[in-house]
Amino acid sequence: MSAIRDFIGLVGDGVKANQTLWLLVFGFALFPIFSYFADLPFWNDVAMRIMLLGMAAMGLNLVLGYGGMVSFGHAAFIGIGAYCVGISQFYGISNGWAHLGFSIVTCGLAGLVIGYLALRTSGIYFIMITLAFAQMLFFLFVSLEAYGGDDGMSVDRGEFGFIDLYDPLRLYFLIWCALALVSLALMFIVRSRFGVTLRAIKSNESRIEAMGLSPLRFKMVGYVISAVICGIAGTLFASWQEYVSPDIMHWTRSGELMIIIILGGLATLAGPLLGAIVFLLLEESLPMLLGAVAPAYAENWMIIFGPLLIMVVLFGRGGLTGIIDRLSGTRGNADHKAGPR
Amino acid sequence: MSRAVLELQGLNKSFGALHATRDLSFCVNAGEIHALIGPNGAGKTTLIQQIYGALKPDTGHVLLNGKDITSLPVPGRVRAGIGRSFQISNVLMDFTVLENGIIAEQARLGQSFRFLRPAFDDPDLIAGARKILARVGLNDRADQRVGDLAHGERRMLELALALATAPQLLLLDEPMAGAGPEESQRMSQIIETLRGKLAILLIEHDMDAVFRLADRITVLVEGAVIASGTADEISNSAAVQTAYLGSE
Repeated sequence: MSAIRDFIGLVGDGVKANQTLWLLVFGFALFPIFSYFADLPFWNDVAMRIMLLGMAAMGLNLVLGYGGMVSFGHAAFIGIGAYCVGISQFYGISNGWAHLGFSIVTCGLAGLVIGYLALRTSGIYFIMITLAFAQMLFFLFVSLEAYGGDDGMSVDRGEFGFIDLYDPLRLYFLIWCALALVSLALMFIVRSRFGVTLRAIKSNESRIEAMGLSPLRFKMVGYVISAVICGIAGTLFASWQEYVSPDIMHWTRSGELMIIIILGGLATLAGPLLGAIVFLLLEESLPMLLGAVAPAYAENWMIIFGPLLIMVVLFGRGGLTGIIDRLSGTRGNADHKAGPR
Repeated sequence: MSRAVLELQGLNKSFGALHATRDLSFCVNAGEIHALIGPNGAGKTTLIQQIYGALKPDTGHVLLNGKDITSLPVPGRVRAGIGRSFQISNVLMDFTVLENGIIAEQARLGQSFRFLRPAFDDPDLIAGARKILARVGLNDRADQRVGDLAHGERRMLELALALATAPQLLLLDEPMAGAGPEESQRMSQIIETLRGKLAILLIEHDMDAVFRLADRITVLVEGAVIASGTADEISNSAAVQTAYLGSE
């Protein structure tokens, strides 16, 4: 009993310290009510995409933001997670829990192998080697004709027992639960002894060695955790999209995840999710806005999108969460952040 | 009678044509402060790196308490009992002083692979960190970000972190470098309090400090030991005078 009370106390403390994150997460829980009354069912779909990309970005942020490892290949893990659905179904396994299980195991192993090899390098070499692995996997799936090759394969939504994913709201809340669980797990991890060690390695690896710890082991564990989170996002992405193709792991998606994190705020829990919201909302609304003002240029919306991103990075030190912290006069979001406060 | 904590046996290290460590052997005994001096480029830091495990000697052995640690990597040597402060302050700049202590304390306890409880709120870790900081008198600066500390305080913090692992051998690479006279004196006092408790290998350019602190001094020139002995023996040694002042 006391262990449970203890755990609830820990959750309470964590939620209090990360209000922006949990405001966003609970906002997503309430969003379907809003979209129902506003009669905007299409936006549920957008919200699901935001949650999935946000979740993947949160996973990447553990190594990129907290660990200082600039991985340019995390789309590979989203892809592996998605193909876990496609390939399982190809062999007649339609249980969604099984898909998730496969995804966690495969992404964990892939993260272990890629991490083991890539984490021996650092800086630009690390960026390049992670990109190389992601491209390798991309072209592997392109060449696998049995699984659709370039064209990909259409998949059915996983069967999660009583949770019928063809009911859009149930799919929505399955994704929401995954997001909430990932948020909870990361909230514990970044504040834990492991998390602060990871952040200390980012700050000064040789001091951690001088404390008798082997930085590689911590970086590997962080890398595997982040790979698994991206894999979970990918698995749900496949069920949401009902379609899997190598496109899901194209290198531009790795870049997209990095932009989302930097836009939202590196090494903050709320940052990636906030970044995903703003990034995808702009992506959805800019073409429409531009279309209303200058219809001929609607498809050139990136001309506004690009400079906007640059402005946030240049002038909003710490990304969007940094701006929120400054406006509210706290350092709530940066509280668990190693770096300039 | 005194037991050797560190024993170097015939170390050699070359970088291309540069023979940085030549057939080098000496001991650091338990509880002594052993200074390593020599002109610039004598190979002092190269030697420290080999003792610490950041460089591998080409030939020869490094023994800690009689055990061969030549093949151990840095973290293994730290766990075996070697602590180190670096030539350039090596602390966790993005954290507060107390957080530095907490991370050192959890590393000391072998608890760094825990994923649930927030580390910086843990009362046991905080108490341990306070003890680590108390050794160098930094407790009143606990909430200060290390990036905002004065240079001398950073050196103190680094010494505290090096001591946190309870080393049997402490490698101090120019602890007084860049410090003002007051800070140097304070550092000397703290090193003095460690005398007899652990073996210290001290590299220092401040000769006053070296002759005041060291029980024994080893003089390194061009990678080889040219003299080793007490402060008096070294200051009267002809070989040392030649090396430092030239042979004219």
